[in-house]
Amino acid sequence: MVYIATFYSHFGAVRFKRICEGAGRKAKMMPVPRDLSSSCGTCVRYEGDDPCPGGAYPEETEQVVEKTDSGYREVYRTKDS
Amino acid sequence: MDTKKEKIMIVIGGLVIGVIASLLVFFGNPANMGFCIACFLRATAAALGLHRAGAVQYIRPEIIGLVLGSLLMAVSKKEFAAKGGSSPLTRFILGFFAMIGCLMFLGCPFRMILRLAGGDLNALLGLAGFVLGILCGVFFLSKGYSLKRSYRQPVVEGAVLPVIQVVLLGLLVAAPAFIFFSEEGAGPGAKHAAVAISLIAGLIVGAIAQRTRLCMVGGIRDVVLFRETKLLWGFVAIFVSALVCNLILTAATEGTYFSASFAGQPVAHTDGLWNLLGMLLVGFACVLLGGCPLRQLILTGEGNSDSAVAVLGLVAGAAFAHNFGLASSGEGPTMNGKIAVVIGIIVVAVIASVNTFKKEQA
Repeated sequence: MVYIATFYSHFGAVRFKRICEGAGRKAKMMPVPRDLSSSCGTCVRYEGDDPCPGGAYPEETEQVVEKTDSGYREVYRTKDS
Repeated sequence: MDTKKEKIMIVIGGLVIGVIASLLVFFGNPANMGFCIACFLRATAAALGLHRAGAVQYIRPEIIGLVLGSLLMAVSKKEFAAKGGSSPLTRFILGFFAMIGCLMFLGCPFRMILRLAGGDLNALLGLAGFVLGILCGVFFLSKGYSLKRSYRQPVVEGAVLPVIQVVLLGLLVAAPAFIFFSEEGAGPGAKHAAVAISLIAGLIVGAIAQRTRLCMVGGIRDVVLFRETKLLWGFVAIFVSALVCNLILTAATEGTYFSASFAGQPVAHTDGLWNLLGMLLVGFACVLLGGCPLRQLILTGEGNSDSAVAVLGLVAGAAFAHNFGLASSGEGPTMNGKIAVVIGIIVVAVIASVNTFKKEQA
């Protein structure tokens, strides 16, 4: 499965990508797709069977979606976002 | 929407914006100044009496239109969300110094593109500085720079600056005695398209910029960080369409809308070093802010109070620039302005370092 995680900061994305790679996941940083947000920050696109490679989402994570044939399915969203 | 469709949308948006910018000059705006976020915020600050530069006093409807156009588009697409609380004072200071850099160069990144499209070769030095500034910012981004996260806020918090735009529109139309307007022939403040034309232009560009996320800083930043050219194409499209439109207007009318040279350019000076350093400061500060001055206005329309604070920083910077003789003129930069730009680069570098390396140690 393919997931996309968005963050409150570029640094959050950098750290999450490291977590993904540490867990043996294929991951890459890219600009947030327009369909996902009107903000122009950095997201991480990663692959795997479950959406949470490190056991818990880091504090900087804003939302995580699963990429589907029809678009995106939200699997996580932080409070107050 | 896949990346290709996003790119097509951005290019079309950029082409439309370039034409509108060029036509605004035809309808009365100063040359090469269809849009300039820095100049227009400076003019609005002057109209409100925050500084007394008599040549630039006018409440610019384009600014009002940009914020409200973004607001209307965001509301219609259910993307309006009041949020903020991400290091607001730091953003104020970054906005302040971004304006100091803009007024050294005499234009924001948007006007830099429009100056190039009008044949103003001084803007090439500005562009070089802008890229260097962005590279400085990207260096800190890749080392871990970030400001604190934002939070959901009450709707009223995100609506404050858009409501102020409506008040400003009322003041522009009513023109009470306590609002300052440049007298005919006094300078750029006296040159403007009709209110309705400027307002509609701002509304259209604001709506397009909200949908496309067009950002002069983001275009170059994304190329450096991700080799992603999507946003940069918007930049290129504005340049191409404004250039073509300027050439057509020059051929079809009695006015001159394109003239390639360094000397004699409207609202510009020829000091290459300070054009470069001014825009270096702008690029650096705007990467740390997360977007160019145009983008700050658009995000303000979406309810982002952090961007609203950055816009207030830009306004305060404009007031200081004129009250303390920091702003350049067609004659060139001032000594005070040069000192302010150097201080600005140092302050922005300190902000970048403090918000980068403390995190690496944490």
